[in-house]
Amino acid sequence: MDYNGGTVLAMAGKNCVVVGSDKRLGVQNLTVSTEFQKVFPVTEKCYIALPGLATDVQTLSELFRLKCNMYKLREEREIEPLTLANMISSTLYGRRFGPYFCEPIIAGLDKNNKPHIYGMDLIGCLNYPDDFTVAGCAEAALFGMCESLWEPDLEPDELFETASQALLSAADRNSLVGWGAVIHTM
Amino acid sequence: MDSIVNKFKRSTSTWGDHNMLVNFDVTKEFSLPSFDIPPCHNPIEFLKHNTDEKSNAECRIKFKHGTTTLAFKFQGGIIVSVDSRATAGSVIVTQNIRKIIEINPYLLGTMAGGAADCTFWERELGRRCRLYELRNKERISVSAASKLLGNIVYSFKGMGLSMGTMVVGWDKTGPNIYYVDADGTRLKGDLFSVGSGSPFAYGVLDSAYDFDMSAHDAAELGRRAVYHAAHRDAASGGNIHVYHVKQSGWENLGFRDFDDLHWEYQDQPKPSIIGDVQPMMLNIQD
Amino acid sequence: MNPVALYNHDAPISAAQQHQFDPYEMNGGSSLVIKGADYCLIASDTRQSDGYKINSRYVPKAFKLTETAVLATSGFSADGLALFKKLSQNLEWYKHAHDKVMSTPAIAQMLSNTLYYKRFFPYYTFCLLGGIDEQGRGVSYSYDPLGSYGAEPYKSVGHKNQQGVQRTDMSLDTAISIAKDAFTSASERDI
Repeated sequence: MDYNGGTVLAMAGKNCVVVGSDKRLGVQNLTVSTEFQKVFPVTEKCYIALPGLATDVQTLSELFRLKCNMYKLREEREIEPLTLANMISSTLYGRRFGPYFCEPIIAGLDKNNKPHIYGMDLIGCLNYPDDFTVAGCAEAALFGMCESLWEPDLEPDELFETASQALLSAADRNSLVGWGAVIHTM
Repeated sequence: MDSIVNKFKRSTSTWGDHNMLVNFDVTKEFSLPSFDIPPCHNPIEFLKHNTDEKSNAECRIKFKHGTTTLAFKFQGGIIVSVDSRATAGSVIVTQNIRKIIEINPYLLGTMAGGAADCTFWERELGRRCRLYELRNKERISVSAASKLLGNIVYSFKGMGLSMGTMVVGWDKTGPNIYYVDADGTRLKGDLFSVGSGSPFAYGVLDSAYDFDMSAHDAAELGRRAVYHAAHRDAASGGNIHVYHVKQSGWENLGFRDFDDLHWEYQDQPKPSIIGDVQPMMLNIQD
Repeated sequence: MNPVALYNHDAPISAAQQHQFDPYEMNGGSSLVIKGADYCLIASDTRQSDGYKINSRYVPKAFKLTETAVLATSGFSADGLALFKKLSQNLEWYKHAHDKVMSTPAIAQMLSNTLYYKRFFPYYTFCLLGGIDEQGRGVSYSYDPLGSYGAEPYKSVGHKNQQGVQRTDMSLDTAISIAKDAFTSASERDI
């Protein structure tokens, strides 16, 4: 998890969610790229964030894109966040004894615009928090920041600001995280 | 009144002489401080097991590491430039550590590797340099100072000290830079860079270095070299400190925040490094 | 009767073989320091744990050194205590030799040296030193286990993370509320 660096978070607010990541890609201490994508759109209202080993991040993002497109073609509807989370979870558990080094976060709004965020470990153990979830290199620092800054029923603007501040402050304390951040608000 | 004055006059002079002649114990003044050694069969293995991240990733005691430091000679003396980030593992312990140690008004030491090792031994070096001055009525040369440090760390060889330092200063022979590390290496040179960011710093330094540049340009080159190193090396960052060593002693040219410099440099045109270079003649076989 | 006679000296002596000298333990805990213009705030929790086991709920890890200096530790509790005792002893000697109490910046340097004298058998402690200097200003220092130290406006050590608090001078009340907030936030996630 510390090889390429990078960290992500998702937060739930009042009828909204945000998901964000930093932009650094490194090989241990060497910074290779400052524009590395770790958050991937799945539908209009659902994103997955993939922190961890960069090669697995890209493999998984393509794999999930394929699976979601197949789902859409078969079912003729967009995938729901919970369905997506379970799909990702079972995909990861399929590699129980040779896992992908990636701890995905799923954030999105369902068909009733109710916020959903999910986190999991690298072999797909899901958890269903109703406040926020974080993963990656600066996990501990992010937990601390989120515990302090997050409060219930934030509006989209406030939620965006809260998530940004949490991410940037945590990045300031970790050498493998940083070089800017992206936040998506839904 | 006179009797009181005389009493003190006499007592200071006799006490002073007595103290200088009898109580100055060379073996005590120049001996190394004593260190506790773990009471076990193999102290060095014990230390490696508990403190060395390379041989044992799960080691408990992680200490500060990661650096970019550089020093180079030019026509106006020496420029020393360093970053100010300290990391333990991937955690940034502090963004404002001082990696240039002011040994005395004419000598500077830089710090790379274990922060505690560098600060402690360069402080000890400062003490010994002062004693040298008092005994010999002249300043110690950079060569001798660096050798003092080199000999100290050499006596601890194999014990796991971690330091890569440059002893920089101006003495009778002019400006001097010595590189001293924990293995006991001691090198004299015109240009050194030490630390995890040093490959990047060397790249910038070597491409734009010119002995005849002005003091202003030299300071800017030092700053830029550390900036580019901190850009790529996650273990370097924070503030960039620059010192200029002149005949009259060193001068602190202040420090700049890395992020501020980043935005500043981004707005500036890139310095022309390859602009004047003629296209290379290629040998293409028909 | 001589108790030694109770033992049968003819029997072979068997004892457990020690394969690794491991005198360290991680007792966890967190400490925090915030300095202001004319005050310094030092906080630490009082839990002493060993892995998932809690040894005690009240073992303070912040110690008063002088009227104007407090040492806060984290890491191996026994080393923290030994270090505190050594410092207290040095301070006592200093007081008798110089007829004054050591200033906080001087204690800071002494702590650094004390830690470094154990360079090859380190104290497994992460120290913070906070207090008031001779001019009445707040000062705070943080240390690594080998004695590298620096002055810090705010700092925490231990298992819980650092806060990105505002970098301006704040009032004592604000500082106290931030410190309390940091500890409650941290204890939400740290076992």
